[in-house]
Amino acid sequence: MIHVSGLYHSYSQDDRYAVKDVSFDVPKGEVFGFLGPSGAGKSTTQGILTGLLKLQQGDVTVAGYPVKSMKNEMFNRIGVSFEQSNVYSKLTARENLAFYRQLFDVPTRDPLELIRQVGLGGKENLKVGTFSKGMKHRLTFARSMINNPELWFLDEPTTGLDPAIAANIKDIIKAQNEKGTTVFLTTHNMFIADELCHRVAFIVDGEIKLIDSPKNLKLQYGEKVVTVEYLADGRPQTETLSTVQAEDKARLQAILGTYEIMTMHTKEATLEEIFITVTGRGLT
Amino acid sequence: MKLFSSFVKELTLATRSFYFYIEIFFAVVLLAVVLFAIPEQIRAVQTQLLHLDLPQPAADRLTADLLEEDLDGQWQTVVLESGGQAFDTKLIETETARVYIVDSADAVRALADTQRNIGMVLSLDDAGQLHYTYYLQGYESQRLQNLLSVIPGASLDGVAEKIADLPVEQLAPDQVLLNDRENVIPTLIAFNSSFMGMFIMAAYVFLDKKEGVINAYAVTASSVARYLLSKILVVLLTATVSGLIVTVPVFGFQINYGLVLLLLLVSGFFASVLGLLIASFYADITKAFGTVFVVLILLMLPVIAYFLPGWNPWWIRIIPSDLVIWSFREILIEDGKTGFVLMVSAGLLVAGCGLFALADHRYRKTLSVS
Ligand SMILES: Nc1ncnc2c1ncn2[C@@H]1O[C@H](COP(=O)(O)OP(=O)(O)O)[C@@H](O)[C@H]1O
Ligand SMILES: [Mg+2]
Repeated sequence: MIHVSGLYHSYSQDDRYAVKDVSFDVPKGEVFGFLGPSGAGKSTTQGILTGLLKLQQGDVTVAGYPVKSMKNEMFNRIGVSFEQSNVYSKLTARENLAFYRQLFDVPTRDPLELIRQVGLGGKENLKVGTFSKGMKHRLTFARSMINNPELWFLDEPTTGLDPAIAANIKDIIKAQNEKGTTVFLTTHNMFIADELCHRVAFIVDGEIKLIDSPKNLKLQYGEKVVTVEYLADGRPQTETLSTVQAEDKARLQAILGTYEIMTMHTKEATLEEIFITVTGRGLT
Repeated sequence: MKLFSSFVKELTLATRSFYFYIEIFFAVVLLAVVLFAIPEQIRAVQTQLLHLDLPQPAADRLTADLLEEDLDGQWQTVVLESGGQAFDTKLIETETARVYIVDSADAVRALADTQRNIGMVLSLDDAGQLHYTYYLQGYESQRLQNLLSVIPGASLDGVAEKIADLPVEQLAPDQVLLNDRENVIPTLIAFNSSFMGMFIMAAYVFLDKKEGVINAYAVTASSVARYLLSKILVVLLTATVSGLIVTVPVFGFQINYGLVLLLLLVSGFFASVLGLLIASFYADITKAFGTVFVVLILLMLPVIAYFLPGWNPWWIRIIPSDLVIWSFREILIEDGKTGFVLMVSAGLLVAGCGLFALADHRYRKTLSVS
């Protein structure tokens, strides 16, 4: 569904790249997660893939169309949700969707049904200007699936939502994917990524550091962390250490030799911990 | 279809914003001003100052001749002032002129200066021929000046009629055909209906920019060009409505509304595309204000030139609003030059299309991810 190779992008048109030598492929039916801290280049990549930003360098094909010669028709098969919600505040939720569906040549979904699905039922006739940030974000999300997209771009669909609503959005994405929709998901929420994505790419400073499935990543990194709880000068301390890295191994031996151990167990690393291990960077 | 639904949406948005009503409101206010504050004065009644520097019998005869044309056959004594000096004058009012007969050439000169009227001194030269001296205001057209130089006849006979008729002839065809009220209409329509479109369009775009909706539009099966076009259509609609609000009550159905519509549409198109283009360079209305203001002033200059016949530098002629104003005028006057109107319309359309292509390019280029 998506093919990207050697993608570079510089907003200043020089060698300060927001996206640098990015390559990946997303097969049909997959949920592909683009994970990275804020400013990593995730939105920039999505922007190029959806034709909002001009392709400067690299080879990009989306849903069979080279983005260099993108046609409007291609968006009949594509849905895009934005990081910053962009709906008309002077129109009601329903009017926003009702108008938007007219812009496609394919069968579209009922606005009211979508509004209910994202938990905005009862608010359909309110002007969007009265909505909270999170509500606007959900409407932007709902709008992106109005044309039953085969390929769905989601830029931070759960950011800024409270956990229950985020879980609802996650379920919608999952259900949609089970019906065959390919999903390109940008997020810095590792729990969502962990649950939804078949594969994830770790991106930092515009560069992809790794692409793999969460399962493989955990197999690779998961059993190799040990959490040790010990008493130092009578006070309890906790440390999480890798069992492969020389530095951590030495530290572990030192702790074992010096202090009184209270508990000690190996633990499956979270995606977030793996991200930190791999990239040396946190997610926020 | 997509264009139509976009148009309906833009119209919905417009009617929920304040700018939509500004233009209509202005049109109504302007109409009220035109109808109630500007008198429908006939330009043909022109005031002039006359001194007869002739032997008494000749002067008396000429005065008598003029009096025959007077509405009541008698003169009135009127005191005119200039620079603190009072001058006794005899006022003769005919159907087409108000002629003040004054006692000296100096009085003519002084009064012509302060009253802003044409002054005229009739005298006999050495050969016993009538000699005419005009005091003009400096803004009279070359055409009028030529006309004045051929009017004088060799004898006293008929001079009175010539003097009385002079103003009518003076206000040659392209000057006399609109009364004061009608005369201001071209500038009003050109501004409220057409060039306000630029400002209103910019305002609409900035409302959208604040919400980032154009990005959402860019990822649909409809084009950015269609989005821009739907906005233009809304501006054209208000331009047409407000244009008609001003013209119909003043002119009734005596003018060619096909041409009026054509000109309202093409000038509105040009102006709104200009607004689109300007707005594409700025993030919000405050940042764009300087540019919008300068362009509006530039577009206003032809209005000044229109009302000041003496000030008409060549570069005014190439400002689009000048062409629009004079085209409107051609539509409003009888036997106006339709060819000129069509040519200006075609020019505005072509220029508008060029700017539209540029604006489309700009809007695509400035799409963003956040
Ligand atoms: N419109 C823009 N102009 C200039 N720089 C930008 C623009 N948008 C993003 N950037 C920069 O590009 C980098 C990547 O940004 P972005 O793709 O938005 O990251 P992410 O979505 O991963 O948070 C950041 O350093 C950001 O500051
Ligand atoms: Mg982002």
